Amino acid sequence: MNNETATPVLEVKHLKKVFGKNEVLKDINEQVSNGQVICLIGPSGAGKSTFLRCLNMLDQPTSGEVLFEGQDLTKLDDKQLDKTRENMGMVFQSFNLFPHKTVIENIKLAPVKVKGEDDATATATAEKLLKQVGLENKADAFPASLSGGQQQRVAIARALAMNPKVMLFDEPTSALDPEMVGEVLKVMQDLASEGMTMVVVTHEMGFARNVADKVWFMADGYIQESAEPKIFFEHPETDRAKDFLAKILEA
Amino acid sequence: MKKISKWLLLVLTIVVTLGVTGDMNTKADSNTPATDQYLSKVKAKGELVVGTSPDFPPYEFTKNINGKSKVVGMDMEISKKVAHDMGVKLVIRRMDFDSLLVALQTGKVDMVIAGMSKTPKRAKSVDFSNVYYKAGEDLVIKKSDLKTIKSYKSLAGKAIGAQTGSIQYNLVKNQATKSTLKGMDKDTDLILALQTNKIDAIALDQPTAEAYAKNTDGLVAINAHFKDEGEQGSAIAFPKGAQSLVNSANKSIAEIKAKNLIHKQYLPNAGKYLATGKSKSAKAANSMWAYKDFFIAGVGYTLMISAVSVVIGFLLGTLLALMRLSKNKIANGISVSYIEFVRGTPLMVQILFIYFGLGLVVNIPALLSGIIAVSLNSGAYVAEVIRSGISSIAVGQTEASRSLGLSRSMTMRFIILPQAMKNIWPALGNEFVSLIKESSIVSIIGVKDLIYQSRIVQADTYRGVMPLLITMILYFIMTFGLSRLMKFFEGRMTHE
Repeated sequence: MNNETATPVLEVKHLKKVFGKNEVLKDINEQVSNGQVICLIGPSGAGKSTFLRCLNMLDQPTSGEVLFEGQDLTKLDDKQLDKTRENMGMVFQSFNLFPHKTVIENIKLAPVKVKGEDDATATATAEKLLKQVGLENKADAFPASLSGGQQQRVAIARALAMNPKVMLFDEPTSALDPEMVGEVLKVMQDLASEGMTMVVVTHEMGFARNVADKVWFMADGYIQESAEPKIFFEHPETDRAKDFLAKILEA
Repeated sequence: MKKISKWLLLVLTIVVTLGVTGDMNTKADSNTPATDQYLSKVKAKGELVVGTSPDFPPYEFTKNINGKSKVVGMDMEISKKVAHDMGVKLVIRRMDFDSLLVALQTGKVDMVIAGMSKTPKRAKSVDFSNVYYKAGEDLVIKKSDLKTIKSYKSLAGKAIGAQTGSIQYNLVKNQATKSTLKGMDKDTDLILALQTNKIDAIALDQPTAEAYAKNTDGLVAINAHFKDEGEQGSAIAFPKGAQSLVNSANKSIAEIKAKNLIHKQYLPNAGKYLATGKSKSAKAANSMWAYKDFFIAGVGYTLMISAVSVVIGFLLGTLLALMRLSKNKIANGISVSYIEFVRGTPLMVQILFIYFGLGLVVNIPALLSGIIAVSLNSGAYVAEVIRSGISSIAVGQTEASRSLGLSRSMTMRFIILPQAMKNIWPALGNEFVSLIKESSIVSIIGVKDLIYQSRIVQADTYRGVMPLLITMILYFIMTFGLSRLMKFFEGRMTHE
């Protein structure tokens, strides 16, 4: 990490998150550089999703710093946060498309309302993105008529429409039927190869191994290991990681 | 507990404040020379506003004259004379008998004439003129009962009806202890109750009883034989301390008595209006079609009150719901208290409070008071519906919206409310339908809505059931139309 000269896009310092008496994140210190793809893996309840949600302040950290392009998000007010979130796209496990709007309206909403783009520009962008995720013929459909895989691809397109600098994925394939996982991972892989900075919480070990630049293994409120995927999967250092990988391979 | 006691304290404060304001006028003896401003005020505005309850023939009742409902009768002739002697125009305000004295105390009317007996109890809160007329009490019964009912004593174990707040009501209560007393606001309702065997007799003032008996088939009037409880007869009521008005009225009454105008002129005139009740032309005039303008006007008012209240109630409800869901403790507290208080008190009391209570501070016309009360009431219910709608939207929707950079208020406007609206649409429809129905209660303060108009038609035609049936059908058309309309929009909101 010392040989990376550019300032990291994202950096967390001594991040801590407590829910009531439950210490979910204890002390996290990590960096994400421009163009990097990070896969965050670990057992259930390790705090992976919470960590991801602290990165764009959907969950307020109890203490510590979250730096986005050098700016500490924990010190921003609501308005400044809204501005920052434009640059951080997020994709959710349960898609969270807006059911009262068509696919293309879902994608155009934020560019028009937040960025003030005119309708023609927003439509053109939306159509281009729909083509990118392979759903150009679904522009006027309502989300309820789409399969889970299609909905998740629309959700990705919706996040991309704001032209974010970082994309956060919170278990994007966990709610999908197995036969649809591939189409979503393909879109994400394409995105990674285009140089998008991504932080992905996932249980897809194949994706982590093939696409990630780095794997963070999280357990018990700490990031236990941070390594290139080849090294992590073949030579895990901690017992916790060994145990986790053994269980996954069994399944 | 702490919250409740706070509320009680607030209510108590309001009541005490109003009470003090209402009692500020000093007491006056009937011989006192006038030093007050009442008469000069009446003269300055050029009109004498008289409150009455026109269901009391021959004192006061309504008559359909050229398609317009006019208040006529002996009391109205007296009022004309009183106003004439003061040199001002006469303006008549109709309301329920029970509301008359409150209206007087709160300055809604300058005087009250309603065949009202002068009693010591009433004289505590208002000043009376001299008595202008005194009559005994009768019972109105069915002709078929003429042989069995001779006086109130024959009615042991049976039901006697009387107008709530009237002298007869108290006579029955005090003397006919073996009978059941049934109080109603309107004499016309009492007649209807008698005709439909809900009660066995009505205790009424003698001329009124005779008027009803003469104009209603199958009914007769007999002497009630109540013991005299020291009634002094009917007098005109004025606000406490309005000695100048009392003096002026007494002068007019003295003249009426000297010329025997009541028996020579006023009662025969009233009888003429009543006498037409059985003739052929009167039957044509009594057909419901002749009163279509009344029903149309009533529907117009009811729709207007409902429409305005739906809009204001909806906006207020949305605001209250957002306040209730907000993290701001003050906004939340205000909203919760408001919703709980309004939902925990009857709409009828709220309407009376706004019209009479706030009337002490600012003079709000009846129609506006009605609209305000119904809107404020509806807002509380709508707020709860909207709150449940907002809570029903998954938190993921908010998160997705915020993660795209939409602000809190944009998220509410573009994402949450549109979806919430779709979810609560049926409940909202129910709320609006019941608002149309509940708006009928504004008639108690004299707003001319559908109920009020059907009351007038009842009183005019001496027909009890038909106007009710028509009113019912008209309400149903309105509510059914609204729920169809809501269904139509619900269909348009479905996304598949």
